[in-house]
Parts: sequence; C-alpha cells; structure tokens
Amino acid sequence: MDLATHQRKLLGLVRSTYQVGSDDDAYIQAVARSKDLEEAWRNIFLWRVYVLQRSCVLTFRLLKRRQVLDEAVSAFIAQRNISPFRETQGPAFLEMLSGHGDSVIASVAQFELALMKVRNGDSRSYTIAWCVDPNIVLGSLAKDIPFEDFVPEGLYEVVVSREFSSLFQISAYTSARQRRKAARTSFSR
Amino acid sequence: MATSVNSAQRETNKCAMGAPYDGRDPDLLDRILPHVDYVEVTLETISEVKDDDIVLSEDVMSELKNIGKAAKIIVHGVSLSIGSHDGWSTSYLRLLDSFLDQIDVAWHSEHLGYTKVDGEHLGIMLAMPKTDEALDMVCERVSAIQQRYGLPFLLENIVHVIPDFPGDYSDAGFLNALVDRTGCRLILDAYNLECDAHNQGFSIPDFLDELKLENVRELHVAGGVEHNGFLLDVHSQLTRDSTVQLARQVVNRAAGNAKVVVYEFMAEAVPGLGYDNIETELARLRATFAS
Repeated sequence: MDLATHQRKLLGLVRSTYQVGSDDDAYIQAVARSKDLEEAWRNIFLWRVYVLQRSCVLTFRLLKRRQVLDEAVSAFIAQRNISPFRETQGPAFLEMLSGHGDSVIASVAQFELALMKVRNGDSRSYTIAWCVDPNIVLGSLAKDIPFEDFVPEGLYEVVVSREFSSLFQISAYTSARQRRKAARTSFSR
Repeated sequence: MATSVNSAQRETNKCAMGAPYDGRDPDLLDRILPHVDYVEVTLETISEVKDDDIVLSEDVMSELKNIGKAAKIIVHGVSLSIGSHDGWSTSYLRLLDSFLDQIDVAWHSEHLGYTKVDGEHLGIMLAMPKTDEALDMVCERVSAIQQRYGLPFLLENIVHVIPDFPGDYSDAGFLNALVDRTGCRLILDAYNLECDAHNQGFSIPDFLDELKLENVRELHVAGGVEHNGFLLDVHSQLTRDSTVQLARQVVNRAAGNAKVVVYEFMAEAVPGLGYDNIETELARLRATFAS
C-alpha cells in the first residue's frame, strides 16, 4: 500500500467516511476493528470540547444545560473540516449552531459569534432576533447560574456593535410591526 | 545502563527547564518565568483570525518580545503536517516566517506525523508509517526546512493513537535514519512513550536501546488521564514520577546533548491545574533536571 492510499484510508476511518471491505489490506481491517480507533474518536471529541468550552463559553453552557452538547460537538466533527488553528474552531462551531432548530441556541450562538467578531475589530453591526427575553438567558449563562426552564417569550432584538460601550444593546418590542419599524429607522440612520 | 554518575557526568547531564506559554495570561507568565530558561511557543495557539486570514496575535507577540533576556524562545508547531502525502501546511510556514522575522529563537520543531490528508483535517495527529517512501518524503521536507530557515530543526515522536503499521523500520530505526540523512535533531516525549507502552504494548527499553540518544536535544514531560483503559495524550495533569524518571534516564544517556526539558501543559488545563501547582511543578522539575 503506498503512502497516499494508506493515509486516505486512515482519514476515512478516522472521519467515519470509509467502509472497510474484504479486499482491504489486513492492516486497514485491523485498524477498523480496533478499540484504538474508537478511543481516537473519543480523543478527537475531547480535544474539541476542551477548545470550545473556552472559546464559546455562553453557547457551550447552554448546550450542556439543554443536554445536547455531545450531539452538537459530534455533528461539528462530522460535518466540518476543522482546522487545527484553535481560534478558527470557535467561530466555525458558532456558525454551525446559528442555524440550530432550537431558536434559543441559535440566538445565543449568533450573539456570541457577533460578539467575537466585533471584539476582534469588526466594524459592522449585527442584529439578532430573539423570541425570549435575552436579559434572562444571557445573564444566567454569563454568571453560569441556572435559569428557569420557562423564559418569558416576546419579541426582542440584540444589536452587537462597537458603537456601544458594552458592545451590545437589547431592545424589546410589543409587536413585529414595531420591530420592523425600528429596523428601518436603524437602517436609514 | 549505569544509574550512578560521577560529578563530571552529572555536570553534562544537567538540563535547562522550559514551559509553554500561549499568551493572554500575563499572571501565568510571571509565575513560570522564574523557573524556566526556555519558553515554548506554539504558533497555532497564538494566532487569530483577522480579515479572514490567520495571523500572529500582535498582543501575544508583544508579550513574547517583552520576555527579552528572561528566557530563550523555542517554537513548537502542531500543524505543519510534515508527513502528509500531498504536501505540508503553507499556512503554518507563513506564520513561522512572520514569527522568525520578529523574534529570535534557539531552534524550532514539529511533530513527526500528519494532521491532514488531501486538504481534509483529521482532527488528530497520526504517526507516519515507517516505510522507505515515507522516510524519503520526510527527509526531503526536513532538508527544505533546514535550508529555508538556517536554524536547528527538531522532530518529536508522537503517540500512536491507532495500531502501528508494519513498515520497513522500527520506531527507533526510522528516527535514526531520519537524523543520519538530514542532521536534524529529536525531541523525545517521555509521556508519549509511556502512552504507547500502556496502549500498544510498546517496549520503551528496546526503543531506548536502539535509538541514538545523543541526537535527543529536547525532552517533553507531561501528565494526562486514563480513559477506557487508554492513557490519553492530553496535557492536563502534573507529571507522574515514572515520566520524570524516564526523562531523567534519557538525559543521563544522551551524553550531554539533551539541552532542555519542557513541562507541557495546555492552556485549557491551566484553570484546573492552578498557578501554584504549575509553579511548584516547574520548581520540582528544575531541581530534578538541574542536578
């Protein structure tokens, strides 16, 4: 087996994209059956957890509370070509979660990603829609204290921008029409 | 192997101490600097995304420049992927160029393995198959790096996370051939050897008997955790006595060529380890390897 074939087959096993066949080399078959490979997967998982825990603090805590952390990290590993540069892993993870089916997870991920960008010098402003009170959710995640399972629903918007000394501002709206109007005003400014 | 050494031997067996620093934690730097002669910098961890590009963090570079004469800097990369069949990481080399333009280093190093294949990242580092084809390729790349930077270049033995490929060389034989053909030097990670012994039944005594230990310039010691019966290569703990004894054994047999022992711990583990424990560990290790 030449080097390229050897490495491509191991990549497939490590990323679970390659099915070993009976015509495969005995070594590749042995690796596929090995407990070492299972442990390697676990190792990859743990490394991602170490990095994401530090770089995406709010979203990480929320995923843990919602008991979907393992699922989210596993999806990240399977779907993304994760660079070894740690600084790129957090944004990539948050980008993936920005479209999460749980709208609170999606909003927190969008917020944290925007905050990360603005802190790193991005001059754009980002507007994130929320369907629950962001004050309660973000406050409890930042302090790492539990929030009630039931967070009052409502129409909220968080704007993340360097223009604010705290880098973000939360607004509440009584109706979707009011929110649209505020967005138009802010756009024309 | 002689375990007792005379005073002349003891003098040559002294080793300097080193520790990693990833920046952005000046309190940690203040704690480690009094105990080390070398600061190990990993470019991947001091980089940041700027305008969709990976660049060295200016803040961390300032911190490192401020170290001045308090310690020498050594660069230890993780993403060069010197063993990928389709080429190494040009992003890493760009960072290294930029770093070396700004800061003097004693030497630089990488891991003997690969982290990507056909541009796809493994998420882990795999060891090279010890074949003639792999050896030829790595030797060519080591020579190119030596030529490009004109600095000592070291390669480190890595943990075998999957069963070893039955190649043309033993582990030690592959490293010996690599050094013979390129003149590069080695980092020996004592904890990695222990992981391999624990997980793969690797024989450390046989490996050390075959390896030309005079080529070992740097040693790494670290501590990890056991999971599902496997000893994991996560640098999250203090060192075990067995790891320190193994490193001491190598230093004694390296005929004065081993210059530094680096206690490796990852930045993510610092809150768990605590500044006090890190400082105490460095002081303990320094006392061990400086005598």
